Amino acid sequence: MKTNNILRLFFILMVVLPELLLAQAVEKNALSLSLKYFNDNNVTHHLLVQAKSKIDGKFQKIAHIPVQFYITNDTEKKNLIGSGVTNEKGEYVVVIPAAAKEEWLKSPNQNFVVVGEATPKFDEGRAELPITKAKLKIDTVEGKIVTAKLMALVDTTWTAISAVDVVVGVKRLGGILNANETLTYSTDSSGTVKAEFKRDSIPGDVKGNIILVASVIDNDAYGNLSAELTAPWGAKTIYTTNFDHRSLFARRGHSPIWLELLAYGIVAAVWAIIIYLLFQIRNIKKLGLE
Amino acid sequence: MEKSAENKIIQDLLPQEFGKQGKIWVIGLLAICALGAFAYGRQLYYGLEVTGLRDYVSWGIYISNFVFFVAISLVGSLITAVLRLTNVHWSTPLTRIAEIIAVSAITFASLIIIVDMGRPERFYNLFLHGRLQSPIIWDVIVITTYFFISLLLLYFPLLPDLKIMIAFKERNGKWLQKLYEFLGSFWKNKPEQFKITDKAINILSISIIPVAFAIHTVTSWLFATTYRPGWDSTNFGAYFISGAFLVGSGGVLIAMYIFRTHYKLEKYITNDHFDRMGKVVVLLALLYLYFNVNEFLVPAFKMKKSEEEHLLGLFTGEFAPVFWFAIFTAMIIPIGILLFKKGRRPKAAFVAGILVVVGSWFKRYLIVTPTLLHPFLPMHDVPANYKHYFPSWEEWAIAGGSLAGALLVITFFARIFPIIPIHETIIETESNENK
Repeated sequence: MKTNNILRLFFILMVVLPELLLAQAVEKNALSLSLKYFNDNNVTHHLLVQAKSKIDGKFQKIAHIPVQFYITNDTEKKNLIGSGVTNEKGEYVVVIPAAAKEEWLKSPNQNFVVVGEATPKFDEGRAELPITKAKLKIDTVEGKIVTAKLMALVDTTWTAISAVDVVVGVKRLGGILNANETLTYSTDSSGTVKAEFKRDSIPGDVKGNIILVASVIDNDAYGNLSAELTAPWGAKTIYTTNFDHRSLFARRGHSPIWLELLAYGIVAAVWAIIIYLLFQIRNIKKLGLE
Repeated sequence: MEKSAENKIIQDLLPQEFGKQGKIWVIGLLAICALGAFAYGRQLYYGLEVTGLRDYVSWGIYISNFVFFVAISLVGSLITAVLRLTNVHWSTPLTRIAEIIAVSAITFASLIIIVDMGRPERFYNLFLHGRLQSPIIWDVIVITTYFFISLLLLYFPLLPDLKIMIAFKERNGKWLQKLYEFLGSFWKNKPEQFKITDKAINILSISIIPVAFAIHTVTSWLFATTYRPGWDSTNFGAYFISGAFLVGSGGVLIAMYIFRTHYKLEKYITNDHFDRMGKVVVLLALLYLYFNVNEFLVPAFKMKKSEEEHLLGLFTGEFAPVFWFAIFTAMIIPIGILLFKKGRRPKAAFVAGILVVVGSWFKRYLIVTPTLLHPFLPMHDVPANYKHYFPSWEEWAIAGGSLAGALLVITFFARIFPIIPIHETIIETESNENK
């Protein structure tokens, strides 16, 4: 009996108590989610979530958080448009699927919700994003001028939107290079911006094609919209490689001719002497055997 | 020349069997070689991890040893070719000593390069995929060429001696007799044969000089074509060649003394030879000292930031004890000894020779290692042992084994062939008597 009591006490001390203490010691951090909408060339639409948490006084990106995206504010299963786990940058992207078309067409405004699941270290997080459906069109007019027109859906009509900042430039190395001295323009009453293209010497492809870009970035009402257009306004770039050229730095078999002649010439001359001397040994041998 | 005098020369210069000291010497060298082979076995099994070589110092004492071997091999061209072509006859008894030092050293220079490779079974790729633009390929080509020229320069003057040795069938024993007959049974002392041999030796003497200069210049370019503190120098080719002639001559001084005392060759390797060879070493030591002043004083005067750490490391820092040891033992003390007539006596010259060779070995270590420890970019986030280099016991054993191996080749050569050319000595004695 006495032994049983001692065993019980030992069990409480060694297993149960540490578990309870540990459970109290773990304090979860609040999870902050931010949701962004992207309209890519009026063809595809995607959502991006960024998971962050304030740790040691500063916001840090949180990876490995399971997230679910919903169209409308209702987080019912039928409204689920995608799910995944945040990457090392704390981000996850979901393309709005064709299956959500019916819901998308119901209203000129659209709500999205993202829910981040609770994990042992973080609480559950949630973010909502209301957007007004808009589209951005890019075009060119004579005189190398780029135009971009922003329209939003008001009731059932596409209406030009004024006083919205639009970035106009050339797609270059993953970013946007301004087409002239100015990068950002504000739409006029017709929802249009105009930018004169002044970068004639910019390298394009073999035909001189470059990609013109107009973009609305992080707008509170319309989200992120971008439109691209290929124009033959760049300088033609003919790709040349000196990989196969003979040089002191080239790969094997591509050394300069002068070096090959010099080196092989010297080697051949010296080895010709050695071979000549080996023949002389043969001659000495012949003389000895006569 | 009387027949008895000729016979006396032959008897004096014929190779001798190992005595008790000789056997102990050979066993000692074999033991060091065996230890080296064991250490190399460990390196093959565990990889270069067993060495002190890391990311920064990837060339340690193996490459120092390689440069040392290449350097010492140059003496063959100096004694045999340069002195022969300038009609200096006193060096005749030393030619074969110099040539066998050259052949054994260049053989082990090639082997030690393979030892430095982490994957020696891929050695053939050097030939299959080597770039002609790389000094490493030039080194491979020129070392191979130098080896064959040195071998021929050893063989041609040996032919008349082989005929002499073949005559001593009883003394030679079965295997040696077979070897001598294989190498020179066709030599009949015919004037036409002498004519061809003399011509061949002259051709070799002329062609070995540019090849010898090339071998060590190219070795210096392995370093000088790399933009690093301590190696970025236009002086390197001449600096290496002068140092090579010095260490080779030091090696000849040592070999002269050992062969003279061990084989009782006082009549053939005379005090006069030591005196003259001593003067040659002084000249070469002064020349090498001059190049050292150029190599260190000029960059130290400018003290460019990138060079500063390297130079101060040598002058007053981590490498200062080795640096000053090398400068004093390889150059200053030998000059001090050999500058005086008493210092050019055999024993003193022998000591000077040892100092030159030992100091020169450490000099090669200083050429290779400190530069590797001073890259342009600071060493960050690396383990502490990456920042310093000290060879492991395996490296010491392998380096020691290669040195013992080179000595073993010389020892066996002297056991099998006459270390002083018999026929040339007879001819020289005859011509001296006729004067």
